[in-house]
Amino acid sequence: MILQGVQKMSEKELSQYGEGVGFERIRRITGYLVGTVDRFNNAKRAEVNDRVKHGV
Amino acid sequence: MIFTVKKRDGREMPFNIEKIADAVIKAFRASGELDEQIKAAQAQINLLGNDDLLTNVALKVAADAVGHLEAENKTKPDIEEIQDAVEKALTEGGYGDTAKSYILYRAERTRVREVNTRLMQTLHDITFSSAKESDLKRENANIDGDTAMGTMLKYGSESAKHFYTMMMLKPEHSRAHMDGDIHIHDLDFYSLTMTCCQIDLIKLFKNGFNTGHGHLREPKDIRSYAALAAIAIQSNQNDQHGGQSVPNFDYAMADGVRITYRKAYLSNIVKALILFTGKEEEELLPIVKKLHTEMAEMGMVATLVPNEKFVETEAHELSKTFDAEIVKKAQKFAEKQAFEETDKATFQAMEAFVHNLNSMHSRAGAQTPFSSINYGMCTEPEARMVMKNLLLTTEEGLGGGETAIFPIQIFRVKDGINLNPGEPNYDLFKLACRVSAKRLFPNFSFQDAPYNLQYYKPGHPETEISYMGCRTRVIGNHYDPSREISYGRGNLSFTSINLPRIAIKMKSVDLFFKELDRMMQLVSDQLMERFAVQSRRKVKNFPFLMGQGVWIDSDKLGWEDTVGEVIKHGTLSIGFIGLAETLVMLTGKHHGESEASQELGLKIIGHMREFCDKESERLGLNFSLLATPAEGLSGRFVRMDKKKFGIIPGVTDRDYYTNSFHVPVYYKISAFKKLSLEAPYHALTNAGHISYIELDGDPTQNLDAFEKIVKHMAKVGIGYGSINHPVDRDPVCGFVGVIGDVCPRCGRSEGHAISCEKLEELRKKFPGMPAFRGIR
Repeated sequence: MILQGVQKMSEKELSQYGEGVGFERIRRITGYLVGTVDRFNNAKRAEVNDRVKHGV
Repeated sequence: MIFTVKKRDGREMPFNIEKIADAVIKAFRASGELDEQIKAAQAQINLLGNDDLLTNVALKVAADAVGHLEAENKTKPDIEEIQDAVEKALTEGGYGDTAKSYILYRAERTRVREVNTRLMQTLHDITFSSAKESDLKRENANIDGDTAMGTMLKYGSESAKHFYTMMMLKPEHSRAHMDGDIHIHDLDFYSLTMTCCQIDLIKLFKNGFNTGHGHLREPKDIRSYAALAAIAIQSNQNDQHGGQSVPNFDYAMADGVRITYRKAYLSNIVKALILFTGKEEEELLPIVKKLHTEMAEMGMVATLVPNEKFVETEAHELSKTFDAEIVKKAQKFAEKQAFEETDKATFQAMEAFVHNLNSMHSRAGAQTPFSSINYGMCTEPEARMVMKNLLLTTEEGLGGGETAIFPIQIFRVKDGINLNPGEPNYDLFKLACRVSAKRLFPNFSFQDAPYNLQYYKPGHPETEISYMGCRTRVIGNHYDPSREISYGRGNLSFTSINLPRIAIKMKSVDLFFKELDRMMQLVSDQLMERFAVQSRRKVKNFPFLMGQGVWIDSDKLGWEDTVGEVIKHGTLSIGFIGLAETLVMLTGKHHGESEASQELGLKIIGHMREFCDKESERLGLNFSLLATPAEGLSGRFVRMDKKKFGIIPGVTDRDYYTNSFHVPVYYKISAFKKLSLEAPYHALTNAGHISYIELDGDPTQNLDAFEKIVKHMAKVGIGYGSINHPVDRDPVCGFVGVIGDVCPRCGRSEGHAISCEKLEELRKKFPGMPAFRGIR
């Protein structure tokens, strides 16, 4: 059973890449950057969601 | 009869009436209500003079309280019930004052107990929740709250905050902080450190330095210059609670390029002579080396852009030994080779520098050092080589093509140097725009904004404007006007005011200003209290910052000296958040919507600046006004105000207060108008400021528009600005750019897999694609 599971995993790995992997989204917080948005606190996340683009 | 009492934790303990009496005695002592009677009794029965009277009265009160309990049939009373009965007995006994002090004593005990419970609850949350679900663990996005060291840091930080609010802060400051009228930033470091410092690398490198773990020699190559720069930033991080900034990265690294070039030139001219003359290195090297040393003593050295004096003298001298034609050819060869080698070495040095600052540990591994570098105005070829390569490696990204988070890069813009075509560093400005359009860095600072220009003295890089990446700015110096420089100085501490709350409470503009004055005075007093604590710290408490002479004038102090005098060069800053919400509360509109609101906004911030200037005058220190960065604070105040005052449209109806003086992020406005509206606030906030523009799509496709915005910033008097745009990355195929729902390169959507074949196919098309190393 256990062996079978392992085999399944590696088969899947051989043929498929990226299952469950999200995109990284880097945004500026206060002049500096942070890893990705999922590291933001709730308030800053809300702010990022509200940001509108500025026309040139 | 009462035999047992129920303690707060539920346990039953034997009843002891003396314990009640003890508490009552304490209350009598505090109120002083029996003092007269005790004195009289002591005078009468001189020999037996003791507290008997007090004990007797207290026991009587305790007995009365027990009587009350028994009357109510409470045979197993809990603590609260006993305390209620004591209060009643005191009041009925005619001891009104004592009853009051007993109530206060009760309240104080409750407070201490609650704080302890709260601390335990906080520690519990830190221990058992992941950063994903715990906002507390994401307070600062640069700390990984899930790691062991990140958690340990949080334990320490939260416990320290509790300790300082209970034991060190004045009660009025502590209350204002806990109630959310003000926010004392970096409270966990209250008694330990100052915020930040601008490190003059040239001074630090001279004769080498000691990290506290070992001595490093003066660097002799651009690669070691860059390595030491990273180490200096890392070492200094441990002595501060804020960030480290290098104000002169271009000037400092240029020295490293010079040395590298000289060495490369020497080795290459020797190589050429070996080839052309057929002689051995052992013979040639000493001759040329000796010549170079002698020439250096006379001020002649090989330079990146060859200088005539050196070239001719060298040719003349070498021609005494070798054929003149051969010497000429050898020189040409050496110039070209040395240039290429130096360029390559500089690129590698900058690449390693950026990699180091994104991987070096600080704070026991929970963070990388918080680093910023300023550059852009040095026009010497060596500095230009540094900047070019730094920008190129930044554009390329880290090992997997990721965008580097550190160092925060700030490109200094100045008319006549790099802003317009034909100016010496215009090419670098263009490159900076291109890199920023892809990687969000560099940000841009503006030397020509009048409030920055006033300090600038050409030929004195220490007077060029510098910003900490987060926005902090330290240049003016009221304490010592002869030292209006950035080098060796920084912010000591800052505290922010909850502006919207004042508006909600006061409603009218007149009352608003009155309450604002009161609040600013409170903050000023609090900053001075903290300053007194910081002043008592000693050089030995800051082994790098002070021990290695990084902070201005600290090199004149001994290990056991206090730092009080030298930190007077630092700034004490009053910050604020939510000008937009404040204006909505007072006028119904924020400054993006109405000219009248903009006028009032400038009046408010101008008034705050005046207050800071007056405090500088009164106290002889550097008080300055800060447009607070407010990462953790963005949600804290509004959460509390929502609870207190409910949802007020345009004021408390979002999860964050708008940053400092910004036009709200949700408000539709053109980039140029936003910048023009925000620029006047830059002039007022002398402790630091930043404005952002949000661009749609991929700005690398429209670099002209990007450059236009930066130029507009310069034109309207922005001090520090940056342009935001989405930088997304697919870790599977390595695509960097804008990703909507689907990755434009590999076509997968979030969380979905692509096949191995597809990945291989893509790899052929994009040879630089990083190898996907599984889920991270």
